[in-house]
Amino acid sequence: MKEESTRQITVIQTAAILVSTIIGVGVLPLPLFAVRAADSAAPLITLLGMVVAFIGLALVTILGKRFSDKTIILYSEDIIGKWPARLGSVAIIAFFAILTSLTAREFGEVVVTSVLKQTPVEVTVIVMLLLAAISTRNTITTFAYIHNFYFPLLIVPVILIVALSLKNAEVINLQPIWGSELQGILKGTLTIAALFQGSFILSMVIPSMRNPQKAMKASVWGIIIAGGQYVVIVAAAVSVFGAEEIKNLLWPTLELAKATSLPANILERLDAAFLAVWVTAVFTTLLSSYFLTIYAISHLFRLSDHKMFSFFLLPLVFVMAMLPTNIVQMYDIIENVGRIGLFITIGYPGLLLMISIIRKKRGNRNEGKSMDETG
Amino acid sequence: MKANQWMRPVKLLCVMLIAIPLLTGCWDRLEIEERAVVLGVSIDVVREGAEEEESEITHTQGSVPAPRTGLVKVGVQIALPGRIPLGPGEGGGSQGDSSKTVWVIDVVGHSIDDAFMNLQQQISSRLFFGHLRVIVVSEEVARKGLENVNDYFRRNSEVRRMAWMMISKGDALSLMKAAPKLERIPTLYLMSTLDEGIRMGKFPKDYIGIYWSNSSKKGQEGFLPFVERKQEQNVEVMGLAYFKGDRMVGTTKPLEIAGYLGIKGVNPAGYRVFINLEGTRETVMTYVTQRRSIIDIQIKDGRPYFKIGVNLEVNLEEKMNEALFVDNTEIIKAIERQQEQAGEKFYLNIIEKTQEKGSDIFGFGEQLRARRPGYWSSKIKTKENWQRLYKDAAFEVKVTVNVRRIGMKAR
Repeated sequence: MKEESTRQITVIQTAAILVSTIIGVGVLPLPLFAVRAADSAAPLITLLGMVVAFIGLALVTILGKRFSDKTIILYSEDIIGKWPARLGSVAIIAFFAILTSLTAREFGEVVVTSVLKQTPVEVTVIVMLLLAAISTRNTITTFAYIHNFYFPLLIVPVILIVALSLKNAEVINLQPIWGSELQGILKGTLTIAALFQGSFILSMVIPSMRNPQKAMKASVWGIIIAGGQYVVIVAAAVSVFGAEEIKNLLWPTLELAKATSLPANILERLDAAFLAVWVTAVFTTLLSSYFLTIYAISHLFRLSDHKMFSFFLLPLVFVMAMLPTNIVQMYDIIENVGRIGLFITIGYPGLLLMISIIRKKRGNRNEGKSMDETG
Repeated sequence: MKANQWMRPVKLLCVMLIAIPLLTGCWDRLEIEERAVVLGVSIDVVREGAEEEESEITHTQGSVPAPRTGLVKVGVQIALPGRIPLGPGEGGGSQGDSSKTVWVIDVVGHSIDDAFMNLQQQISSRLFFGHLRVIVVSEEVARKGLENVNDYFRRNSEVRRMAWMMISKGDALSLMKAAPKLERIPTLYLMSTLDEGIRMGKFPKDYIGIYWSNSSKKGQEGFLPFVERKQEQNVEVMGLAYFKGDRMVGTTKPLEIAGYLGIKGVNPAGYRVFINLEGTRETVMTYVTQRRSIIDIQIKDGRPYFKIGVNLEVNLEEKMNEALFVDNTEIIKAIERQQEQAGEKFYLNIIEKTQEKGSDIFGFGEQLRARRPGYWSSKIKTKENWQRLYKDAAFEVKVTVNVRRIGMKAR
């Protein structure tokens, strides 16, 4: 009965959730990460990161389709047994709580450095976290609607900035497309793949999808749109600044917006406009990782309601966000945590899928049939 | 029952408490009249012994050694709130005096930031760089190196990448104080001189952001406009000041800007040149309307060999002498041939000049890096190597000129 009422999320909404979750705070330093790894081959390495991220997302999707009524927290117990699965679930929860806090902190650092210099970083972080915490007190259907609502706001402005910046672009900066030095490619690919980790939210969304068998379609589109946007941003930044100059810039994407003007002297620099949009992007990302965390906790404890955790978790996340002592340390932590997180978001689902195939576990063999009957 | 009675007010209170932090005003509120809007900055060297003049603001006297490049004198041009007429009607005619719209102050400091802090100590409002349009650096400072200048302005989040940086011959502060008649605000005049230059094909796009990008690149060096204040408080673009790393190493002549633009194939084109016809004393003046360039790279004997093809579309604009008729194709051909020969020599000459200094402002190294990555990564790899190797590179320029129109006169 309960399933019927909660299975409302469409394929388009799922794709929107994925896109707006993936596109977040990482957009700003993304070209720097890519260029550090591969110089002029930065767009290519972004593409590579996207492929790696897609592998992870595909694993989650396939698992989700096999166990279409359960979240990863529940079906992992079916596959590898109760206690190992609970350990895995705790790791997932811990990781996404950390990811939430780091996202909030990174957001705070950008705002304090570039816009609101007098505002203490604590205030920016807590306001953003509060906003996310309040928004997580909705059902997963509302959660999907929120993402769907902000979706166009994330796509259009970025495309606009990229298109306008092209008048300063030089193709020669993108050559040679294969790059000249090939060290650090693996590390860079993983760092960029880590920026896609929010897509793990799919493992929570699938059980609420109207038609879970179409989840793969949503994940393919989600990755193509979000990854495509990432590649386009990196290509634009590299072609405008050149690889060497990007190494001097902490947030090349912001700098790109700063160097871009609307024609006819309407706006001479777009960074303010870009930041306004970017706040929404950060909000949706934060919302997703926060939601994932508390939703996973509620499933771990077999509770039907996740709302009580949204404020319960807030102090914890806030304190974690305040732990990095400076911005350089923060980025070290973000890169390292991100890469370690790949074990959780790609390695763990991979392991689960392998074992479920070997043990021939399928969650929805009979339920699937009954669902077809009911419509 | 009782609990229900209390529930509503408590809930309301909670909602209000949550709403309060979200409804407060802006933390960073700074009214427009409370900020000192810096429009232009000038950077000069300081004569000996000025260290004593500096008050102890960011450091105590003698605690910090004077920087290798010496102390700097920083001048700022601050917009006076309310004095800058926005529309054409306001204020009537007497706008010639720049001291009415802007305020120019100069201070001494160890570094750029030090100087700004010394200045901040002297004026009440907070310095705001969001509208900074022009940074003028004197030649002497530029020859010592711009590391500190570049670092400060790159780090500052308010500075836009579309601002101009220029090198002045002589005193940079005098450009801040100049009061050109055409614009009410001196820095806007400086800016429009260069912006119009781009539109008329007389100057390449070289905003501070582009200069930064170019000087970061491994196979390219930056350059900046080289300007001088003239008698009527106007500004002449004297050429390009070219750099090797952060250090200025030389300047070009004004016409050589056209050479740069030609080699890069920048459009629109706007330079006029005298052509002296072969074997005669007849001269004509031609006007280039369109440029196109193709750069071909070969590796010969382990050295890069650049073949540059420049194609110019030209109109005839003036001749000195009635005895010469431009009414047949032969004479047109002669003009074309003459300009081709002169052009080839001219372009090669500029390249040689920059080669001597090891300052590749054209980005030939970038072409090499992009199109011959194998050669680049085995032989060059770093910026320093290219600065050295640029001197050994060989060049060949082939110019083709097409005279298309001769104006309204039939011969």
